[in-house]
Amino acid sequence: MSRATGWLRPPTTAYAHCDVPCGIYDPHAAELAARTVARMVELIGQLPPGSTDVADRQKFVRCVTVKEQHAEIVKHEISVIWSDYFKPEHVERYPDLHDRVWKILKLAGKNKQNIDAAAAAELEAAVKEFADIFWSTKK
Amino acid sequence: MAADRSNERGAGGTSSGVSLSCLADAWGRLRASVWRVAVAEESMAPALAAGDWLFLDPTPARWPRRGGVVVFHEPESGLLAIKRVAAGPGDHVRISAGILHLGPEQAWLLGDNGPSSVDSRRYGPVGLEALVGRAWFRYAPASRIGLIPRGPDWGPVRTLDEPQA
Repeated sequence: MSRATGWLRPPTTAYAHCDVPCGIYDPHAAELAARTVARMVELIGQLPPGSTDVADRQKFVRCVTVKEQHAEIVKHEISVIWSDYFKPEHVERYPDLHDRVWKILKLAGKNKQNIDAAAAAELEAAVKEFADIFWSTKK
Repeated sequence: MAADRSNERGAGGTSSGVSLSCLADAWGRLRASVWRVAVAEESMAPALAAGDWLFLDPTPARWPRRGGVVVFHEPESGLLAIKRVAAGPGDHVRISAGILHLGPEQAWLLGDNGPSSVDSRRYGPVGLEALVGRAWFRYAPASRIGLIPRGPDWGPVRTLDEPQA
């Protein structure tokens, strides 16, 4: 059966060229957002501990808010590329793709819940690896 | 070797060797030409889907007919692309910038799946010399085997309802 289909398979491909898979997807937004999360964790760590100064508290709240928002951006950007861009043949090439995405989403959640420099660095690295996979499928 | 023998026989009045070499020649040309393709990407949905296997008709006279599905070398990339003939040689295309009069050797090719398709709206008219063949039959998948119907004929003036990409 497989030999028969191999023989029938056309040797050439004709592309019904679409814009969407070629133009719009870009993991850069996710990388930037992951970087922002890490940067916010850094800024929070630089605040004087136990300070009740209004300016410090205001900065703390802002940093936490921005951290939350950007962790959410990571989740969104990664999910969209994962569901809309990647095709079965990509998963064949990168069998751990689903697992990687799951890990990134979990890590983004962890970074929302905690102020954890290690988790932030982990998120940044995982998103970077995801971006590398994305770009390798463009070659 | 075969060619030499067919020459001898041809001189002697026997044509079987000649027709054999003719056949071999035709077979060679068929192997070299693109007469079947696999479709990738979705801009021709729902008429064609990614993974469809098609036969091509390499008869030039039928290529630029409006509504037909053609395979051609995409102007920007040189990749083989598949689109529908929206307007043929001599037709007029009404676009937001005005009316375009296609030359005697030009066609206006569009994807059925308008908004996401990269086609003549991006790269302009396609020269007929870039056309490779007309897709006429889908032989796989089994559930979708059949002739590929020609699309609607919009007439010699094609108005695009969308702005140019």
